[in-house]
Amino acid sequence: MFSIDIRKRIGDFDLAPQFEAASELVVLFGPSGCGKSLTLQAVAGLLTPDSGRIAIPGGAVAFDSTTRANLPPQARNVGYVVQELALFPHMTVRQNIEFGIASWPKDRRSVRVRQLVALLNLEGLEDRRPRQMSGGQQQRVALARALAAEPSLLLLDEPFSALEAPLRATLRREVAALRRRLNLTALFVTHDIGEAYALADRLVVYDAGRVLQHGPPRDVFRKPSSHRVAELLETRNVIPGMIVAYAEGVVVVQTPWFTARVRDPEAPVRGDVYVCIRPEHIIILRDGRDAHGGDDVVLDATIVEDVSMGNTHRLYMRADGIGGETSTSHIFEVDMPAHPYEVLGIETRAEWRIALTAEHLSLVPRP
Amino acid sequence: MSASGHADANSRATRRLGLDWVFGAPALLFVAFLAIPLWALAWRGISSGELADNVTSSLVLDSLRLSAITSTVTLAVAVMVGTPLAYLLARRSFPGKFAVDLLLDLPIVLPPTVAGVALLVALGRRGAVGARFDAAGYDIAFTTTAVVLAQLFVSAPFYIRTAKAGFESVEPVYEGVASTLGASPLRTFFRVTLPLAWPSLVAGAILCWARALSELGATLIFAGNLQGRTQTMPLAIISAFESGQSIDVPIALSLILVAAASILLLLLRVVANNAPARM
Repeated sequence: MFSIDIRKRIGDFDLAPQFEAASELVVLFGPSGCGKSLTLQAVAGLLTPDSGRIAIPGGAVAFDSTTRANLPPQARNVGYVVQELALFPHMTVRQNIEFGIASWPKDRRSVRVRQLVALLNLEGLEDRRPRQMSGGQQQRVALARALAAEPSLLLLDEPFSALEAPLRATLRREVAALRRRLNLTALFVTHDIGEAYALADRLVVYDAGRVLQHGPPRDVFRKPSSHRVAELLETRNVIPGMIVAYAEGVVVVQTPWFTARVRDPEAPVRGDVYVCIRPEHIIILRDGRDAHGGDDVVLDATIVEDVSMGNTHRLYMRADGIGGETSTSHIFEVDMPAHPYEVLGIETRAEWRIALTAEHLSLVPRP
Repeated sequence: MSASGHADANSRATRRLGLDWVFGAPALLFVAFLAIPLWALAWRGISSGELADNVTSSLVLDSLRLSAITSTVTLAVAVMVGTPLAYLLARRSFPGKFAVDLLLDLPIVLPPTVAGVALLVALGRRGAVGARFDAAGYDIAFTTTAVVLAQLFVSAPFYIRTAKAGFESVEPVYEGVASTLGASPLRTFFRVTLPLAWPSLVAGAILCWARALSELGATLIFAGNLQGRTQTMPLAIISAFESGQSIDVPIALSLILVAAASILLLLLRVVANNAPARM
């Protein structure tokens, strides 16, 4: 089990992350400068916290301010792939991979290099230097080097940020598969929300040096715990409202545009709230069709802007206040895949009925 | 559109031509100023017909041998002492770092004669430190050791400066990654940092060696001008002039130094061009 709970002050910045992880791929997600990379440095032993505790899978306590334990990076058994890769340019692929296992007997070392070369599809490149290889190959070498000494924890700091999108997607799948095969705990830093969702077994949302929320990505995306998390995860539709009733696990929320009945055992039961719903969870209703669920919120809305993103359309749709109140109109953001967009003939007219699907509505407190 | 574009290109060409003449003339003049004395030196040396004899005279051979030995020893000491200092200056912060940094620049800007006087006052027979050596039976001033110390004082800073810049150019992330791969700090230094800084270290060594080879002022004051013991080639040139015999001996010495300096400069270029690409 990996666990971290530390504090480190660097100038005005206060780093205080806290989370745990089993053998899974943990994505640390947040805006740049939020302390994700510093967290990895602290775990690797390259940054000494002021206080707290870091435990590495396998039982080793890497850092504990109460017992003054502080293992040096050499003794932490952590594989660390940095953003700039830092492959040793004066060494061949083989020498790079062997760097971390120099103390092993020669036979065992060459067996290990052969394994890693096969595992990461680097056959035939063993005697190349880093600058003679493509970006994707360099990535794989950096991974092989980090994995050589059989670490119990793998740290990946935005390793694919310099690569083009298709290659990034391929490497992402490879890393996820590799991690599962080796049954490793891996911490993966990214500020790319798609990458976070695609990779994470567990998503840790960072902001300003702190962990705002962590859990399975589905849960975090569906039920952000605060307005800030909803914002960071690009929930897009965050609507101010007020709880007007609560009975038998159903919260009734009143907003200027609709009244919604939300079934959420973790939702607040009184006070001011934001109603959150992602653009992909609002659907446009075909004429004469009602919503699927009885609790879906149905509204009349007008398309004011239509932005095509290739495979989807982002529609900006204005809804007037309850009773046709136009002074308080609100713009909803609705994502629609290209195919239903064409089938429904969305571009033929502006006025539609939309449904906010009940099971995707979530509430966060509004201060 | 295309016509005006053409006219544009034309007027740009004329303007460039004007600049070439205005800048080219003084540039050419200065190149000539540098080249003519060296050409004269070579021509005079060869046309005297006694270049071979002069080069093998005892004054020339003794000073050549001494210069070769002392500058090499100086370089070796500068590298051994200077490399750790350069690394610490590049990577660590410590009290007095600013002062040390300043101190290292001083010999570069100071007239070498001042260095000679300072060394004499410190290490001469009646000097602050030299008196103790004298009491123990060791003389430093006016020995071959003094030649090396004078050269070291004025030339080592060139090596340390360049080496420091070299270490600074190595991203610390390489060292961080090496340490997570289990490498001790010493192994990281020798396997990662040193190879990455290597071109700068070689460049610094060449600069240091060239400076040591041409050292004159500090040596003259602190080590004297004794043939075979402290008379390096620059000093031998002075002696040959003062003896008032022929100008051919100083010319032979000068040509050897010009050749040595040219080789060192070429080496420097080769090293700079072969620097491994950073990632």
